[in-house]
Amino acid sequence: MTEETPMGLEANREALYALMLEAEREKALAMLLDHARRHGFQSAVSEVLEPVLERAGEAWLRENLSLAQGYVAGKIAEDLLVAAAEIGGDLKLDVKGPVVIGNVEDDYHSLGRKMVAVFLRAAGWKVIDLGNDVAPSQFVDAAVEHGARVIGASAMMLTTAENVRHLRTEIDARGMGGRVQLAVGGAVFKLRPDLMQEVGGDGTASSAIQAPELFERLWAQSLEAEGA
Amino acid sequence: MTGMERVLCALRGEPADRRAFTLALSLYGSRLSGCPTREYYSEPVRYLEGQREVVRLMDPDIVFAPFALPFEALAYGGEGIWLDRFPPNVRKPPFREHGQVRPLGDDLLRSPGVAYLIESTRLLAEEFGPDKAVCAVVTAPVDLPAMLLGIETWLETLLFDHERAAHLMDLATEHFLRLTGARFATGASFVAVPVMFANLRLVTPALLEKNILPELARAFGQAKGPLVYHHGGNRILDHLGLYSNLPGVAGFLFDPRDDLAHARETLGLGRLMLGNVNGPGLARMQPGDAYASVSAILANRAGDRNFVLASAHADIPFDTNPDTLLAVRRAVVDAGAVA
Repeated sequence: MTEETPMGLEANREALYALMLEAEREKALAMLLDHARRHGFQSAVSEVLEPVLERAGEAWLRENLSLAQGYVAGKIAEDLLVAAAEIGGDLKLDVKGPVVIGNVEDDYHSLGRKMVAVFLRAAGWKVIDLGNDVAPSQFVDAAVEHGARVIGASAMMLTTAENVRHLRTEIDARGMGGRVQLAVGGAVFKLRPDLMQEVGGDGTASSAIQAPELFERLWAQSLEAEGA
Repeated sequence: MTGMERVLCALRGEPADRRAFTLALSLYGSRLSGCPTREYYSEPVRYLEGQREVVRLMDPDIVFAPFALPFEALAYGGEGIWLDRFPPNVRKPPFREHGQVRPLGDDLLRSPGVAYLIESTRLLAEEFGPDKAVCAVVTAPVDLPAMLLGIETWLETLLFDHERAAHLMDLATEHFLRLTGARFATGASFVAVPVMFANLRLVTPALLEKNILPELARAFGQAKGPLVYHHGGNRILDHLGLYSNLPGVAGFLFDPRDDLAHARETLGLGRLMLGNVNGPGLARMQPGDAYASVSAILANRAGDRNFVLASAHADIPFDTNPDTLLAVRRAVVDAGAVA
């Protein structure tokens, strides 16, 4: 494997970002695989994909990126991770975490959760995805079983976001507040920024692309709370 | 003047004795009439009773037929959620696969939820029709597939399977035309159409221009009455120009974050604009704050005859203080005539 020149890397990032904006998923994967063939999967992820996702996250914050483009970014990341797992190589997966995520009880809007899972995995997190309609006890049981310090709970609507309160109660009732941090997300939290605190969340992100940064922060808070 | 006359003045750009106004008080009628939401959203007569209380309290110029879009998805199957203090919702989309989605034909209108929507519209029109405009709300044809299959599947289809997306939009357009036709036939003065998947915060520019706008134009152009393009929860000002020539659209309802003066520049004189009180936000506002906020909107549009003060986003929340709502009305009255 050879090292890419800074100019070559920048050109690759620009090309990938443009392909993502145009929803050219297959071409984007081909470009990343070509890079991986020459420089390794780790370089494809950390030197090309991650900077592009970071840029996409900033564009999202400025509302210059659509949900569809964010979704395509997630699919490109997912395609690359699948290819890396199939082909094998130097990519370090599951080096952080684990963390537990799921949609809260009665919530079946899985898009945001799935995107969060992809962006977390691309950033090296081991993700235990519990799926839709997850009861508070299931979240906490999984966190205990896997030693997760962060639970990510997704809810799209106000009616289901209210169920985050039960999860907060379950975490606290088991004496795990502080050690287990509660990340909340979903469309309604963007519409009502004060809702995160109202329902007992420890943090939120304005998009799935920002999830890795949020989970890093909450993981650090958990360690701090334990005096680790 | 009657409410209907004020609304018509706004549509035609004529002076009026005061600014026409409305708030989406569909759900709120259940609070005012003390009717449990499940009954309120099942029995058209109970809905009418609630809207009578809305008229008694607020006397808006436009009354709303039930703002309960999930009934459209539930007509295809699936499971509803009934909660106190909220409109009904869909627990999960009725279909997992594209191939399962079939047009309902006239069975759409016979499904319990949709039949309730239609009968409620008829009762409202019968009671308030000549004096007030009756607004029905119908799901946009580009959004219905998301309700039937889930947002993720619809997004995936739109992006990567254009043939299936076109097929689903055909079905959704047929649904839209059948339902809007029934609402107009039973007395709706206009139909408000919240549109989500025609927004650059959701879709790519290429999808919007090549796939979505042509479908909206086809659907809207065949509607049997005037439509109001509802912002659907996102700002629309920055790409308003793309929608401004859609057929059948009598007016645009803006997001609270959209600048109305700028919107007027884009649309030009003579087009009806509605907005842009933050409806759900009223639940967290004191009456004085609501009065100031609404007065600011009215001052911004003081010389604009083609403007109706209206709430944006979804229904006014159940727990909103009635004094806050009355402050909105007071601000409208205090602003005086539309010269």
